[in-house]
Amino acid sequence: MKHHINFSVNGDDYSLAVDPWRTLNELLREDLNLTGTKLGCGTGDCGACTVMVDGRTVSSCLTLAVSVNGKSVTTVEGLAPSGEELHPIQESFIKTGAIQCGFCTAGMEMSALHLLNNNPEPTEKEIRAGLSGNLCRCTGYNQIVEAISVAAEQIRDSEHEKEER
Amino acid sequence: MKRFNIVGTDVPRTDAEAKARGTAIYTDDMKLPGMLYGKILRSPLPHALIRNIDISRAASLPGVKCVITGEDTPKIKYGNWRLFPETQDEYPLAVEKVRFIGDEVAAVAAIDNDTAEEALELIKVEYEELPGVFDVDSSILPAAPVIHDYCPSNISVNRKIKYGDIEKGFAEADYVREDTFTMQSVSHAYLEPCSALAQVDLDGRITLWTSTQVPYIIQCLLASTLNMRENDIRVIKPFVGGGFGGKMELRAWEFCAAFIAKKTGRPVKFTLSREEEFLTGRRRHPMKIRSRVGFKKDGTLVAKDLRIQLDGGAYNAMGPTATFLCGNFGAMLYRYPNYRFHGEHIYTNKPPASAMRGFGAPQSLYATEIQMNLAAEELGIDPIDIRLKNAQVSGDKIPDVATISSCGFIESIKAVADMSGWKEKRKNLKPGQGIGIGCYSFISGGVFNWFNTQYPFSAAEVRAFSDGTVHLLTMASDIGQGSDTVLKQILAEELGLNMGDIRITSADTSMTPQADLGSWGSRVTLMAGNAVIDAAKKIKERLFGALSARFNLNVIHEIECKNGRVQAVTRPDYGLTFGEAVALVQKANRGEPLVARGSYTPRGKGLVTPAFGFGAQVAEVEVDRQTGLVEVKQMWTAHDCGTVINPRSVEGQLAGSIQMGLGYALSEQFVMDGGKTLNTSFVDYKMPTAADMPPSQVVHVDTYEPEGPMGAKEAGEGLASPTAPAISDAVYHATGYRCMDLPVTPEKILEGMKKD
Amino acid sequence: MRLPKFEYFEPKTLEAALNLLTQNGNNAHLLAGGTDVLVKMRNGRLKPEAVIGLQGIEDLNGIHFDSGKGLAIGATAKLAEVASNPDVLKHYPALAFAAGVMANVQVRNMGTIAGNLCNAAPSAENAPPLMAMGAEVALANLQGDRRIALHQFFRGPGLTAMEHGEIMTAILVPFPVPKSGASYKRVSARCGVDIAAVCVSAWVALDGEVCKDVRIVLGAVAPTPMRAVGAESFMREQTWTQELIETAAAQAVQESKPISDVRASADYRKKMVAVLTLRALEQAYERAIKN
Ligand SMILES: Cc1cc2nc3c(=O)[nH]c(=O)nc-3n(C[C@H](O)[C@H](O)[C@H](O)COP(=O)(O)OP(=O)(O)OC[C@H]3O[C@@H](n4cnc5c(N)ncnc54)[C@H](O)[C@@H]3O)c2cc1C
Ligand code: FES
Ligand code: FES
Repeated sequence: MKHHINFSVNGDDYSLAVDPWRTLNELLREDLNLTGTKLGCGTGDCGACTVMVDGRTVSSCLTLAVSVNGKSVTTVEGLAPSGEELHPIQESFIKTGAIQCGFCTAGMEMSALHLLNNNPEPTEKEIRAGLSGNLCRCTGYNQIVEAISVAAEQIRDSEHEKEER
Repeated sequence: MKRFNIVGTDVPRTDAEAKARGTAIYTDDMKLPGMLYGKILRSPLPHALIRNIDISRAASLPGVKCVITGEDTPKIKYGNWRLFPETQDEYPLAVEKVRFIGDEVAAVAAIDNDTAEEALELIKVEYEELPGVFDVDSSILPAAPVIHDYCPSNISVNRKIKYGDIEKGFAEADYVREDTFTMQSVSHAYLEPCSALAQVDLDGRITLWTSTQVPYIIQCLLASTLNMRENDIRVIKPFVGGGFGGKMELRAWEFCAAFIAKKTGRPVKFTLSREEEFLTGRRRHPMKIRSRVGFKKDGTLVAKDLRIQLDGGAYNAMGPTATFLCGNFGAMLYRYPNYRFHGEHIYTNKPPASAMRGFGAPQSLYATEIQMNLAAEELGIDPIDIRLKNAQVSGDKIPDVATISSCGFIESIKAVADMSGWKEKRKNLKPGQGIGIGCYSFISGGVFNWFNTQYPFSAAEVRAFSDGTVHLLTMASDIGQGSDTVLKQILAEELGLNMGDIRITSADTSMTPQADLGSWGSRVTLMAGNAVIDAAKKIKERLFGALSARFNLNVIHEIECKNGRVQAVTRPDYGLTFGEAVALVQKANRGEPLVARGSYTPRGKGLVTPAFGFGAQVAEVEVDRQTGLVEVKQMWTAHDCGTVINPRSVEGQLAGSIQMGLGYALSEQFVMDGGKTLNTSFVDYKMPTAADMPPSQVVHVDTYEPEGPMGAKEAGEGLASPTAPAISDAVYHATGYRCMDLPVTPEKILEGMKKD
Repeated sequence: MRLPKFEYFEPKTLEAALNLLTQNGNNAHLLAGGTDVLVKMRNGRLKPEAVIGLQGIEDLNGIHFDSGKGLAIGATAKLAEVASNPDVLKHYPALAFAAGVMANVQVRNMGTIAGNLCNAAPSAENAPPLMAMGAEVALANLQGDRRIALHQFFRGPGLTAMEHGEIMTAILVPFPVPKSGASYKRVSARCGVDIAAVCVSAWVALDGEVCKDVRIVLGAVAPTPMRAVGAESFMREQTWTQELIETAAAQAVQESKPISDVRASADYRKKMVAVLTLRALEQAYERAIKN
């Protein structure tokens, strides 16, 4: 039996019927065409499918779609404020060379967001630990780690500016 | 060093924003109206005859639109080595026999994935199991089961290299040693599982979107296996989530998507699961390497006799090239006046091994580098010094095989020794701490035309417009390494434009110029780069002619493209904007667009490559002497990749290589039980995570490769080799355990320490 | 592989959940964070007809601590919540460490301690520290509640003392007695996304330099997480010396029954039992003397 669920993705409300055996990853990619979230393994190991549900990162491949009823989901498509602006995390990923093939990027950025939300001033070690659930085969991670520390600084600076104003 | 404006700067990748936003489209992200979902049935047995396949229940499951087996197909074998048709040993779907666990037996297409999967379970295959062989030693026994009828010995390729006088060489040696090394199989483990989507056009032609490194090769081999003409197939490469050599052949799902699309008239998409990737995917060759080397007392090399057996798995795949190259790499780095190599590619009933980053070099150079250290120790010479004594230099030859043009090897060794504080640390580290070295050399694209292409190796088309923009069309495939950006940089530099002035279309076989053999063997920067420069030069000639006429310039004037202008060098006031100059050419030609084709094919460059990259790396480790766990504390690298076109990209390649090399050294391996791969997830296939990665420092040695575009050569693959020997040597320094059989596991370290 | 087809229920109360579980009999399966359940379903090892999600049950959520009763971890509390809870960090650092190093960030944001225990993998990482600290689990069915000691809970790989129709509602850990301390040690091949090849937890209570009481729990070296009871009784009432703990570690090796698998060989696991037991005892002692 299909379940009727209401939830929001990147601020947009959705109301749909889903089969209980479908994952959040399938819901996003197949039904909502939000293909920025990737599927690299389907078993929770690689992090390419990482999204935020109610402010915490989860593996969308291990999350049942029915379980996001009433919740709010953020995906990589929800990071940038507009087509002309980028989130500081995206900006620093681009600038530092943290993106090669790009398949891990969406998940990396979501994990970075989760990390910086909880720890605005992470050490390098904390950044690396924050990426424990995100594999990358191209970059060797170093430029990703650099990107996250650059983004952290950027975000702190702009918060500062806001406060001063 | 030559000065450039855009080449040599950290231009951000031009595809990075799309990837950062999640808007870059990979094959599996695509969906077409009416699309069917395909799945593949694979052999559960390593070696068996197919007695019967009953597809009736699967075919009648509601929602199933097509079920095919090998019997339904044209049964045409394929393989990348078209030059030697006897090496083409694979059918898209198994015919009569399966040869490894995972061999593709049947395919299903249905209205959704759930139905397709359900249908797979309803296909009944009767097998008659045959005895299998799972290692090279048993495979070459006279009584061993024969895996391919055409090849009763199970040895599918023999390759020999010989120069100098090996007997005489060893006779002159003061010190001779022979060692045997073995290495495990590892996975490319690209993050994007393979995916292919095929559609039949209105006129019966096929369009295939696929996650590949080699669109042109797919086009040709798909055509031949479908019994169609090459240009009835259009292959488009969308964004690709990494390849590392694992996506450089036609594969069963590409064929099945196209074949079923034709049969059903509907688009069909196949995407592999990670489990399929690990259980059945291509992998790096396990090798058994026996190496005998002779030295003079003072450490001068006099001879090397190298025998390598490659465990090729069930099909040739890219094995012939690996067999060819590991013998070539065995002769690299140091000067061996007398050299003999014999390589054998051997079939076993395991998933086929194939090309993987380094292509024979990581294995071959592991043996070279560890053996060098073993010899250095016995001869009482520092590992750095013995390398400096024997290092290859510019102009050295491997007779009949290759000549080394630019070479910054000695500089690399010296730089890395300095950077790492080698001399001090090699003497005085605490117990459990160690420092070790590994070096590499690698090709910048291959010369040997195994694909038997009649086209240039690389080609580029440049279209210039009067609005000041240009469009670059190329079949060079960006699979994440950043070739689109690098080619744009080269073109922008050559035409004096900005990155933003250039649009690129890469890898669509119906639009981009025939041909390009794809992205592998570190060929793209050098080969496609040269093709781009060739095209740009032709555009410039036309622009210069027009300018000359317009300003009535004396023929002795030098003209340049610079800062968006075309101008006389000494009289920039005699100049036009790039767009105005293009308009002028067009007007002079009554409206003809300004288009030029460029190409590159290495000629007179031996059998291997037009240019070699070199480098040296030092690793520092700390070993927990109770658990055997190794922590890599720091990596230092000095390398020679010619002109660095994009420093951040090169450093990204380096860091990625270190990750792969670190995994190869310490934690990655396929755990096999006979023909069965046991670790089929990322939890048990242990590739390093962010927290496992050491800090790293790099020096780019300044050289200029005359054959390379703006002096550049390879930067992405060679670096896959030095990390494993460097870490392994550092573990030896820390513990006294010398690893002759990769990987260096904690268990082996504890065992090895016990012995001494 | 795709997930098998099943019905899904998300009860709001424990009673509703227990009713569903009983009604659906053996074909029903509970789901907490799903990090084991979904992986098993995907591998085809689990094909339930009904899945009962526990996340909607308010009462099972939360982590409660008071210095009298100790710690009560609700069945749906996330691993990440446990690992970062200030009371857990202060009074149960071995548990905070185990819950905080296992798996990876996303799995810890989804998975639960209860799921880890009920899944009953020999390598379940929260089992050793919880067993060492003398934890009990609270189980409920339609007839009522019961509590059992965690060391009596595991029966084999994937097997527990729970009967069908029972739900684990909480994990209860006593308040640490004075001069006691616990620790957790693991080895695995890499820093992220990894499952321990061997893990060991130790808990000791001291009386001056005498080891009053001790528990040593080994993970991933037997069909279930196991107490090294021989090593424990050897240490009890003895004066704490290096020799004592070394002998105890050697004894623990004798008691362990590891197998070889893709993660490690039996031989290596035995060696690691010795190393980790020693290190775990040393750290537990350090903590006990400061407590
Ligand atoms: C990538 C990855 C890495 C992992 N690494 C580790 C690791 O390092 N160490 C480790 O120990 N584990 C690891 N795991 C396994 C898993 O994450 C843990 O066991 C986790 O704690 C399970 O919790 P859960 O809430 O997700 O359980 P679920 O999957 O929801 O449930 C697990 C089992 O417990 C049952 N169950 C759950 N709650 C209850 C209840 N209240 N009453 C009765 N039965 C119940 C379920 O029916 C099921 O049988 C890993 C998993 C993944 C995907
Ligand atoms: S796809 Fe979900 S973790 Fe890999
Ligand atoms: S950029 Fe390719 S996997 Fe990370």
